[in-house]
Order: sequence, then structure tokens, then C-alpha cells
Amino acid sequence: MDKTGENKEKRTLSPLLRRLLRLKVWVVEHLRLSERQVTLIWAALIGVLGALASESFRKTSDFLHYLATGSESGIITSFVKLPWWQRLAVPTAGGLLAGLTLWLGNRLFASVRQKTTTDYMEAIVVGSGIISVRASLVKSLSALFSISTGTSIGREGPLVQLSSLAASLVGRLRRFPIPQRRHLVACGAAAGIASAYNAPIAASFFVAEIILGTVVVESLGPLILASVVAAFVSQVLHGGEPLYKSPGFNLHTRWEMIPLSCVGVVLGFVAPAYLRFLRTAERLFSKVEIPIPLKLAVGGAFVGALAILNPDVCGNGQGLLRSLFHQNWFWDEILAILLLKLVATAAAFGSGVVGGVFTPTLFIGAAIGMLYGQTVLYVAPDLRSDPAMYGIVGMGSFIAATTGAPLMAILMGFELTLDYAIAPFLMVNCVVAYYCSGIFERRFMYGESLERKGAAFFNQQLAEVSIRDLVRLDPITLPKNATFAQIAETFVQHRFQHIYIVDKEKRLLGAVSLHDVKTFLDRPELESVVIAADIMNEDFPCVSPRQGMSEALHKFSEANSERLPVVDDLNSQRLIGSISKTDIILHLAGEKSGSGTSRQFGKV
Amino acid sequence: MKLPFPVPRIWYKKGDRYGGYLVISRKSVEQLRAAIFIGNLEAKSEREAILKMLGALQGHPQVKDLSELSAATFDRQQSDPPLFPGGIAFPHARTNSVSSLVMVVATCPKAIRFSDMLVRLIFLIGVPKNAGADYLEMISFLARHMREDQVIDRLVKAEDLPSFLTAFADGP
Repeated sequence: MDKTGENKEKRTLSPLLRRLLRLKVWVVEHLRLSERQVTLIWAALIGVLGALASESFRKTSDFLHYLATGSESGIITSFVKLPWWQRLAVPTAGGLLAGLTLWLGNRLFASVRQKTTTDYMEAIVVGSGIISVRASLVKSLSALFSISTGTSIGREGPLVQLSSLAASLVGRLRRFPIPQRRHLVACGAAAGIASAYNAPIAASFFVAEIILGTVVVESLGPLILASVVAAFVSQVLHGGEPLYKSPGFNLHTRWEMIPLSCVGVVLGFVAPAYLRFLRTAERLFSKVEIPIPLKLAVGGAFVGALAILNPDVCGNGQGLLRSLFHQNWFWDEILAILLLKLVATAAAFGSGVVGGVFTPTLFIGAAIGMLYGQTVLYVAPDLRSDPAMYGIVGMGSFIAATTGAPLMAILMGFELTLDYAIAPFLMVNCVVAYYCSGIFERRFMYGESLERKGAAFFNQQLAEVSIRDLVRLDPITLPKNATFAQIAETFVQHRFQHIYIVDKEKRLLGAVSLHDVKTFLDRPELESVVIAADIMNEDFPCVSPRQGMSEALHKFSEANSERLPVVDDLNSQRLIGSISKTDIILHLAGEKSGSGTSRQFGKV
Repeated sequence: MKLPFPVPRIWYKKGDRYGGYLVISRKSVEQLRAAIFIGNLEAKSEREAILKMLGALQGHPQVKDLSELSAATFDRQQSDPPLFPGGIAFPHARTNSVSSLVMVVATCPKAIRFSDMLVRLIFLIGVPKNAGADYLEMISFLARHMREDQVIDRLVKAEDLPSFLTAFADGP
């Protein structure tokens, strides 16, 4: 076949091939996965990984608990069997080991911790979505020692940490951009909470409401998927029963709705005191200048000493909550264990034990709710109130009031008990408690931590970035006798809001603002009469490369401008370039601005 | 397009030209009304003319420091003195020695040389640094009104401020 014939044969496709080609085009066009769909797939995988990480932590914790106490039972049951000296020794030794782990980890991986974060909240909100593997493992190991030896701290903290770490690793391996990495870590956190509490809806809202601060479908979708998958895997591994199954409640009389609707008010006013109590404990421990291992050992010893009086203080309070809802407790018993648990949790939290306070807070809320219920029963016996019902409502209300996340608290209360009859009361009281708490307290449990981390991260980033790194050289300038026509022409040619006015030695004299002259740009009569010196702002702020970025940001707020002139020295005022807000924001977000000293601007 | 009904020559509204009539800023009109008028100003030089006009501002409630205003005005005259075709000069200063826009209007039937132009009308303006827009508005307002030689002739003939304003309002 000659050359022409070959070409003809190539041009004519067989009907089958044409159909296949059409099919391929259709598939490519219609089934092409967007970034959002890809995120969903990864969210599901992270759900599986999160549940497996949580399960591994649980199993390891149970094994260490067996080694420490010689018992395979739950923490409280094990401690009941122990002699008094062992009740004291086990949490103390656990604290010591946990502290030693942290101390060693700090020494070995200090450089790693400076570059990346170990905190999942920080990684999601202000970080780059990268969580340090080694430092996270150190924290988790430390938490294992504390939790398995009965310290009064929640294990949801390390569960979420490990799950988030798994998500962070996926993001790093796949080299996702920062926003997607952060979103995946958020999915990991949601998966960790879902597998810890078997509460997928509340878990996704926990992350959305508390950490992301937004409940929009874009971010909530992957969180829900990751949570549901994690909860499903956890149910496969150890059953699908709700954590604190409700015994079933009925209102004996409609009048009971009145005291039941006031639970939120009580808990809302108690919550700020609780938060301050925890902060005080933290402050007191921080004043004690002893090595970390000793500090954690002291925290463990506190719990151990209280366990001699009553072993119920040990652990995160999960078993205690079940017992509270299903067994008959007298008011003085509830009050005693409430006070002991408060002190034990504050001692553990204040000493710096790695772990969460979510479950202990659930217990404290439930105990206060039950005490309130007992009071109602005493004052109005005809109502025949069930204090456990007040306990469940109190649990949800207290979480709403301490975390500042009423939506999550409502869902959590419902998912933990799976009792629909109580849902309306939960809803009302969670919202009421949140508002009551807000009267006295603006810094909620996780918000304060996030605020601190956010500010620290932001300050660190600001301290690291130098004006010199972000300055764009050769900004647009005009002499002070430039005519109004030249000024108008320059504004038309460039998209900037300010033109810098300089003298012959390039010293900055001021800036002409587009905002000031825009009304007059179409007035030809001004073209020869007005010059730059007539309309420039002589007090326009400028920065020098020697100044810090925080000073630059302060000046931006003064100037209300996207761009600030940069002079070599504030005395000589010689203009060398300009710095823009966008470049600073991109730099803080970890993106290359494409500027730096790229000298993009032509001189006018 | 001409409007089918009589419209006052000066509309107290900020904007543009409608139907051949000028729509101007109320503020500029008020500032012009508050101006100090000097008729038949005689001076041998630009400097003498400006000094005489500055002298009229002595004791003016809006002038905080006359010497500073004077220095700023002469400083501005050094670079591109603002002159408008037809013999109009706008010596001015942006300085915080005045608390709001002040203006002295002078007619010079005997023209005075400002740089390379013979000037018959002088508008000396002092404006605070933060009121650049007022200055632009005023200059624009004056310049648009005095594009025609016949208007300038009428204005130069005015003997006092009311007659000056009437001549100004009559337009081209």
C-alpha cells in the first residue's frame, strides 16, 4: 500500500471502533472524578484506618492494664480488687512512665516537633495538615501508660490523635495540597471520635462545629462518610450497642416538663465554674517546677490516693456512667463520687497527662443532672421523676455548655443513648445551657486550646517571615510634579490602588490614592492644573525590611491598602519596593506567592 | 439635548452636564460664596499679587497660621504653577495651617505676569491636607466655568463679590 492509501485507511474508523471511542469520551466526560469526589473516597478509607488505629489502641491499652493490675476486667472492677497500696502505686507508676516517655520523646524529637505539629486541631485549623509521626507516637504511648493504669482521663484524645495521624499520612503520601490535607485530617479526627463513642453523626458535627467552626455540606460530607465508616468498622469489631443505652423513660405527668426544662439552666451556670476549676488546676501544676515524669507521677498519685477512698474515680468514667444510668444511686453517693471525680480529673488534666476530658465531662454533667433530679424527686415526689432521665439530659447540657457546641451535644446525647423520647428535652436544655454558660464564659473547652494554638502558630509564622523575603521590587512611581493626566493614565494602565510619589533620589514623598481621585479622572480641565503633590497623601505608612511582619500588618490596618511601600530605612525613606497583603497571606498559608523577589513589576 | 422647561443655571447637585446646563457641587458654590473678593488688584509681580491676597486672609477664622500658609503657597508656586488658559492663576497650598478650604478671589484688569502668562483672574486657595477632594472639586468647578473668554471678561469686570457671583452664574 502506498503512502496515500495508508493515510486513507487511518482516516476511516470501523463502526465498532467509533462506538468504542464515543463510549470512552462519554466515560471520560461523565465519570471523571472531581477533587470533591476523590476526597470522599479518601474519607471512606480514612474511616477504616481511623477505626483500626483506635481498635489497636484499645487492645494495647487493655493489655497494658492486664500487665499493671493482673486483671482482664474493666478499670474500676480491677481497682476494686487491688489492695490499698496497689491502688496508689499503679496510677503513680503509670504517671511516672507516661512522664518519662514524654521527657524522652521531647529530648529525642524536639527538632521534629518544631517543624510539624503533634496536635490534630492545630493541623486542621492553622497547620499544613501534617502531624509529626514520631511525636504523635510518643504522645500515644504516654497516654497508653496513663490510661491503662487508671488515671482519670479520657482515651478519646489519643484515639483521635492516632486516627488523625493516619489521615495525615495518607495526605502526605498522596501529596495532596494543604487544604485537602487539612480536610483529610479533620476526617481522621471525626473517624476517631466516631469509633470511640460509636456516634458517627455527633463525631462529624464535633469536628465541623468545634474545630472547623462551620457546618456546610462541602466540609461536612467527607466528615460524615469517614465517621460512618469508622463507626461501622468499630461495630463489626465489638458490637453496635449504644455506649450508654437508655433504660427507657416516660413522663408520669406533663408537669414534669417544667423541672426537666430547667436542667440546662443549672448545668449552664455550673459549666463556667468547672472550666475555671480545670484551668486553675493546670495553672497550679504549671507553677510546680519539677521534671515532667515527676509531675505526671504526682497527678497519678492524686488519682491513686482518691482510689483508696473510692476506686470508682479511676478511668475515664465510662463504666461509672453506665452504672449511674442503670443502678440506683443515693444522692450522697452521687455527690461523693462527683467531688472525687472532679478532683481526680483536675489533677490528671492539670499535671499534663496526655488524654481527653470529654468522657469525664460527660460523667460530671450526668452526675450533676442526677443530683438535680434527686432534688426534684425530694421536693415534688408526686412527679415521680426518674433521676437517670435528668442525668442524660444533664450530660448533654453540660457538654453543650463546656464545649460551646450545642448541635454536637444534642446529637451526641441522642446517639449515646438512642432514646428518642428524651431528644426534645436534650435539644431544649443543650441550647439553654449553651446560652447560660455564655453569660459567664466565652472561652470554651476546645476553643481556648485552639485559640492558644492558633495565636501561637500565627505568631510563630509571623516571626519567621521577613519583609525582605516578600518585597516586590520596582513599584510603580511618579514624580511629585506628575500631571493629573499622567496620574490618570497610570491608574488606567495598572490595577493598583496607590501610586507612590518619589523625588529624584527615589525618596518616598507620599502616595496618590485611586479612591481619592477616581471621581475626577474624567475631568480634562484638571489635567494641566493639578499635579501629584497637590493630591498625594504625605503621611502614607511605609515599612522597612528591618521591621517585623506584625508591624507591617499593623500598618496595613492603618493604611487600608492592599500594598505598602517598602523603604530601605525609615529615616532616609528611599523606596525599594512594596509588600502586599496577599503575599503575606499566601506565605502564612504555606503557599508560594509567586512573588518574593521575583521583580514582576515594570517601572513606570 | 435641551430640556423642555427652564432650568436654573446652577444646580446644587454633584454630577455632570445635563441638557447643556451645568450641574455642580453645592459645596463648591458655598465655598465660592464665602470667598474674599479683591477687585482691581494691582501688583508688579506674581509674588506681590499673592502676598496682597494672603494679606486679605489676616485674621480669617479658618486660618491658623498665615505665615505657614504663605510659605506653602510660594513653595507650591515653585513647581508647575497652576495656570489656566485665558489668564487664570490658581496659587494654592495644601497645608494644615487652615482648618477648612479658604479662598481669595482677585480680578486684575491690568494683567499681572505669572511665569509666561498674563493673568487677569487669581483664585488663591488654601486647603487642609485631608481635604484634597475639596480642592479638586473646586478647581474643576472653576475651570469648567471659565473656559470661554467672554466669561472671563465678565468676571474681570466684576466690582464686588455679588456681581462676581452673578457673572459667574450667568455662565457662557
